[in-house]
Order: sequence, then C-alpha cells, then structure tokens
Amino acid sequence: MLSSARTGVSLALRAKPTSHLVTYRAVAAISSSSRNDASSAVQSHGGYGIAKRERKEVPLPSQEGTKGVVQYALTTLDQITNWARQSSLWPMTFGLACCAVEMMHLSTPRYDQDRLGIIFRASPRQSDVMIVAGTLTNKMAPALRQVYDQMPEPRWVISMGSCANGGGYYHYSYSVVRGCDRIVPVDVYVPGCPPTSEALMYGIFQLQRKMRNTKITRMWYRK
Amino acid sequence: MSYLTRTLGNLRKIGFKEFWHQLNYIGDTKAGVLVGVDKFGNKFYENNEELPLRTRWVDYAKHDHDAGHIEPLWHMWISYGVDTPPSQDPLAVSNRSWASPHHIPNHTQTRGAYKPYNTTKPKIQAWEPVAAARQ
Repeated sequence: MLSSARTGVSLALRAKPTSHLVTYRAVAAISSSSRNDASSAVQSHGGYGIAKRERKEVPLPSQEGTKGVVQYALTTLDQITNWARQSSLWPMTFGLACCAVEMMHLSTPRYDQDRLGIIFRASPRQSDVMIVAGTLTNKMAPALRQVYDQMPEPRWVISMGSCANGGGYYHYSYSVVRGCDRIVPVDVYVPGCPPTSEALMYGIFQLQRKMRNTKITRMWYRK
Repeated sequence: MSYLTRTLGNLRKIGFKEFWHQLNYIGDTKAGVLVGVDKFGNKFYENNEELPLRTRWVDYAKHDHDAGHIEPLWHMWISYGVDTPPSQDPLAVSNRSWASPHHIPNHTQTRGAYKPYNTTKPKIQAWEPVAAARQ
C-alpha cells in the first residue's frame, strides 16, 4: 500500500497538476482496507478528518451467496465446525477490575454460563476466547499480550467495559492503555461501566453469531 | 427439569415438526401458551410449569437471530420486568409519542453497523510537495 502510494506520488511529481489529482484519486479508490492508515491520511489532508472519497460498494464475504455443489458441501462442513466451536466456548478470564465481578456473575446460577458450554479456564493454552474485563494498565499490557500469544488458534477476544474498550474513565491517566485493542485484536466490544452480566452474555451471543457466520473451508476454497 | 418423560410429554403436545424446530433453535423441547407475536414476527411463549427463569421464551422470526430483535416492551416482559405482556398491557397502548415508532435492532455485523468517525481537525499537517515546472 505504502509503496504504491509512493510510486503514485513520484509519478504525480513528474506529471502535470491535473493528472496528479487523478493519480491520488485512483490510489484512494484502491485502498478499500481501512479508514485510518497513514497513506490515506496523507492523501486526504485537504479535508478536516473526513475523507471525501467516492463510495465503493463491495459485498462483504458474509453477503456472498452459495454457488455450486462444492460450496454447498463446504457450507455443511463449516456449519459443523462452527457448531462445535460456538457451543463449547472456554474463556480465558482476564479479570482486571470491577468488570470481573460482573463476569463472575455470569457464571452464577442466575445467568448460568455452564448451560451455554462456557467454562472458565485458568490456562490460556486450553481456552478459546479471552474476556478482557477491566482497566488495562501499561504494566499489565505485556502480560496480556503474552497470554494472548499463548492461546491456540482459533482465538477470540471480548473487550468488556469502557476501560477495556477505550480507556474509559482512566483514558487520560498516565499509566493506562487507551483500549485493549491497542494490544490485541478485539472481536466484540461490550459497552458499559461496568456492563451488566446480561450485556456480557449478549456480547457472547454476538460472538457466537460471528462464529456461526465464519467461512472456514469456503474461504480456503475461494483462495 | 430435563427428564425423558418431560421431553416425551412435550413432544406429544407440540408434534414432531415443532420438536425439530425447537431442537435447532432453543435446544430444548418446550410446550407453552403463545402469549403474543411482535411486529418482527417473533413468537413469545409462556409455561409457568417450567423451572423459574425458564418459564418465558421466544421463537425468533429470523434464522440469524439476535436478542436485539426483541422490542423493548417485550424485552421487559421476557426478562421478568413485568408480568402482563404488552399485548394485554394498557400501558403499552397509552401515549408513547416520545418513543421511537419503530424498534431499531442491533445492526452489528451488517452494513448498518456503527462506525466511529472523527470530526476534529487533524493534529498532523502533511507536507504537500509542489514541484516547480522546469523552465
């Protein structure tokens, strides 16, 4: 991406100003990946943060339909795998603050996570999902990353509460990471301060929905 | 209670088709009274013979179901906030002009998902290279 932008810039330097604008637009249209990467920020310096790019509608992988016999067969395989994954979700508990209390409530009889096949594991090597519950401090961040790296694939992360989502109340503190997504990739953000157990359970349901819609062998076949 | 006799008894009441449907969605065999259907087409059931907190359940209209599909008043009923369902509750038909006429479901994992955006002036001013044309 950066290299293509660089060639675009060097081309634009050689060409006339009109073609220079055209090159920029072409490069901007290619970068459909993210809104905030450095190169697009450089290109959209004219506006005030809102990139004025032409809208490009590309169907999401989840919106593509099933075509052909092979894809139908692979869909069934995916469904079996996803069913197995979503019905035994073993979370690695990363309880850091008051959110952890709500996470504990999820395991108590009222919400009863065991009926969903969720069992807290103390070991990252045997867990599927990490629930980051609470304020992530700078001192804890290397430990969080290490624990995440120890988890086997496939792995998911649920960021629970404002502090884990974006620093929350401690956003301007000198010792707090402004969101655990700066350390690990997050699948589900559960808002709240702290979120109720119901909210966390809803987040888990969303994660299960995400698992249900995951294309494993179908993506492999497509590539 | 998950006794075999209970499952068989409920199977006798609801029939094989509904039994298979429930096994695919709620993972249990339940027989109850249809309390109401909301605007989305979700069906709400109740059977007070079940264990506490398992007496009310919903049969979602969509296959890709989500608890966010339940309307607020029905949510209140199904989470045991009120005992009268909104189909029979006079409060539900009273003046609710302050409320949104349509329930907005959770659009996460779809095109309509919320995306945060920035409206502040960027802190970094990028250098814009201007090359003077050769004479």
